[in-house]
Amino acid sequence: MAMSANLLAVPVAAPLLTAALILLFARWGGRTLIRHQIALTALALCINLAVAVLLFRGAAGQGQQFVLQLGAWPAPFGITIYGDGLSATLLLLTALVALAVYPFAVATIDYHRARMGFHPLYLFLLMGVNGAFLAGDLFNLYVFFEVLLMASFVLLTIGAQPAQTNSGIRYVVLNLLASTVFLVAAGIAYGTLGTLNFAQIAERLPLASPAVRTVFAGLLLVGFGSKAAIFPLFFWLPASYHTPPPAVTALFGGLLTKVGVYTLFRSFTLFFPELLLSWQPALLTIAGATMLVGALGALAQPGIRRVLSFHIISHVGFMLMGLAVALSGNSLAIGFGLGAAIIYLCHHMIIKTALIMAGGAVELHMGSDRLASIGGLVSRQPFLAFLFFMAAISLAGVPPFSGFVSKLSLLQITLDTRHWVVAGVSVFASLLTMMNMMRLWRESFWGDYSRPSRVPSRILQSGVRQKLILTPVAVLVLLSLALGIWGEPAFRLSMQVAQQALDRQAYIEAVSPSAQISTLPAGHLTVPAESVSTNSPDGLSNAAARTPLVSR
Amino acid sequence: MISLLLAIAVGSLFACGTYLIMRRGQIKLILGLALLSHGVNLLLFGSGRLIEGRPPIFLNKTDYAETIKLNLPADPLPQALILTAIVISFGITAFVIVLVNRRHTVTQTDYVHGEFVPLLREGDPFDFSESTEIDQYDWLAYEVDEVYDSEELLTGFPTLPPSEQDESTAMEEDRYRWP
Amino acid sequence: MPELYLRFLNRILTPVLLLLSLYLLLRGHNLPGGGFIAGLMAAAAFQLQILSRGHERVRRTIGPYLNSGIGLGLAVAICAGAVGLLDGIFFKGVWFSLNLPVLGYLKIGTPVIFDLGVFLVVVSVATSYLLGLSRVSDAAALLRQDTDAPVRSDSPASVMPDANVEPSHRAEP
Repeated sequence: MAMSANLLAVPVAAPLLTAALILLFARWGGRTLIRHQIALTALALCINLAVAVLLFRGAAGQGQQFVLQLGAWPAPFGITIYGDGLSATLLLLTALVALAVYPFAVATIDYHRARMGFHPLYLFLLMGVNGAFLAGDLFNLYVFFEVLLMASFVLLTIGAQPAQTNSGIRYVVLNLLASTVFLVAAGIAYGTLGTLNFAQIAERLPLASPAVRTVFAGLLLVGFGSKAAIFPLFFWLPASYHTPPPAVTALFGGLLTKVGVYTLFRSFTLFFPELLLSWQPALLTIAGATMLVGALGALAQPGIRRVLSFHIISHVGFMLMGLAVALSGNSLAIGFGLGAAIIYLCHHMIIKTALIMAGGAVELHMGSDRLASIGGLVSRQPFLAFLFFMAAISLAGVPPFSGFVSKLSLLQITLDTRHWVVAGVSVFASLLTMMNMMRLWRESFWGDYSRPSRVPSRILQSGVRQKLILTPVAVLVLLSLALGIWGEPAFRLSMQVAQQALDRQAYIEAVSPSAQISTLPAGHLTVPAESVSTNSPDGLSNAAARTPLVSR
Repeated sequence: MISLLLAIAVGSLFACGTYLIMRRGQIKLILGLALLSHGVNLLLFGSGRLIEGRPPIFLNKTDYAETIKLNLPADPLPQALILTAIVISFGITAFVIVLVNRRHTVTQTDYVHGEFVPLLREGDPFDFSESTEIDQYDWLAYEVDEVYDSEELLTGFPTLPPSEQDESTAMEEDRYRWP
Repeated sequence: MPELYLRFLNRILTPVLLLLSLYLLLRGHNLPGGGFIAGLMAAAAFQLQILSRGHERVRRTIGPYLNSGIGLGLAVAICAGAVGLLDGIFFKGVWFSLNLPVLGYLKIGTPVIFDLGVFLVVVSVATSYLLGLSRVSDAAALLRQDTDAPVRSDSPASVMPDANVEPSHRAEP
């Protein structure tokens, strides 16, 4: 049992250790050393995927909760790492996306960028994302946010082209402001509730004054919403996502905003589920505005990656809509909205990465992503055209693919709870998505062949590179197809995950902080290590005779 | 009283930081970010107990038996949090300084929202491009075949594109055909 | 520009700073100190070297080891956490007590090793940052010296003699 809890450390430790080994042995420079870096990174990604599959089988399949108290310090004093179905689902998808983008990155990242440390940075980003999914207290969440932000800063500006540094400044400043807001929220939580542990905050927050709850929730909404790129706070995303190399954009589009979405899910279901009802109009308004602004903004964009980055915003709106109706199912099951949002999240991570990679392949072949000047690629790259088309209609929500299942379930719960306006807006945004996707495909693949750049790009001429680029896209499209065909078992699984995420009592009992400190007088702050329990909740459910205490 | 002073200090740090971030210069931007992080650190400091003369950790309990019996000890956790936050803001400030410097070298402008002025000086240590045709997609021009010389090339690709038309440099030109 | 006083002080201060950083590192697990502070102290010693002897010589001396230092520090820190797996839990502290003939009673454990990793990471990162910034300032001085360096234009529309003037002249007070 203890070993299975220790598995939780692997998604953070394995990328970090591999990056350290790369920095130690395969130093930057030299082509053979870069091949060693590639081999080590691929090994770390495979280990990460294997552990994520194990955790997913345990947490989402069998409904276990994994708790790891680092260094055997009990919950409010030490670092808690917590994994349940929601975390494990996102870990699995992160591992899939990272492993799928990596061949694309190997094939397209140039030698100079690799020499500047692209591969260790890839692993650092993966470590930050994994750690944010697993963090069990507010401050470690902040730390892992900063780790992934630092890695993403450097990945965004690696190579230091003028456009990259221009967009890098905006990205850095807006994300740092969001981090500052989040840290203020952590300080307020510590000052008023006396704790930073998630379980303890969830336990003490109902006893706090409504003002504290409102301020805390508002700050978290602004901080996490800015990471997730919801409506008034999304400006860092379309300003920056089109400038780095396409592999970096694919990785960012698959992973970064989803961390914000995950933290919104986690904080709203765990800390203030009652606000999901009382703030529902506001959340639904934000969700509708996000959907609409993203889709309309994509309509006005002239480049492939610009269109796709606006669509990321639009889809974050769909997930937020699922969160807003998470607790208000009428005839459907409780948590139906959250389950729909989770399956939408899975669909989005898979297919958005595939689409950005396909768009990046188009851009690499053409030397430009300006839709007005490219065209006719279907005659040269028929397989790429086919894959792009499949990914595009999956994103738009055409039946055999996963987009249909997720959008249908979201629409079902929204109509069932009688939110007609936001349901209409979501249908309209889906229509705009379809229109945009068809526009992208027609402009880049149909018509006469025209390649605007005079710089010969040999990336797609090399057979090895072409396989490396197109295989992950094909795999991701097949995954999306599988998720659509086996939609019912997938949806049952995501409903289990959602109900587990909505079960606050189970979280508190699994981490179990208050049973140990609430009865202690203040002088005996050194808790003996024998009372530590790091197992799944079987042995813990009887230790839950808690007396909730607000110490301050 | 001391908490009032602390609140005023935190508020003024936040105000100054926000004001500096709103300015156009990048040095002011860095200073504003630093001030904001200091404000947050001070806020975290205030979230502990603002008391005096009580140690957080007792190495030998007999010396401090009175203090332990009478009062709560000082809370050491906010200082650990502040130390972590200082470390993080140290790293981020270092990165932002280097980024601003780099951007200044590349674009020869100091303004955050300044126009895109692509000027590169000769002998730039970070300019890796060998090609003379430098546009926004400069990084595409890296020679990749020197890395993988042994790969076989697929047939059917023209070495130079047939259409030699000039690429429109301005992304926002209104020659774009609407769908 | 190596200054005389600075070079003289450097001889005295650098060993003192390095010893002080070692002292701070070793007492850090239950007294004020620790890896981060010690790393910054050692980086201050290297910065003193940079100021007094010029960054090229320092770069030649310790430059090749900086990346390896970051990697080694991270690996040491993670391995110190993995030692705790022997006791069942990741990052669990494992302590050994030794009675050495000269040093007397010595208590050493995985937190000390973790601090050593932190020390290595901090000193390598801070020193490479300082070296990078000193190179940047040198490059800026060089640029200032020959102002008539050839300027390569990229797009013909953007070659303006006053390119660093903000296009919309919004007055800064």
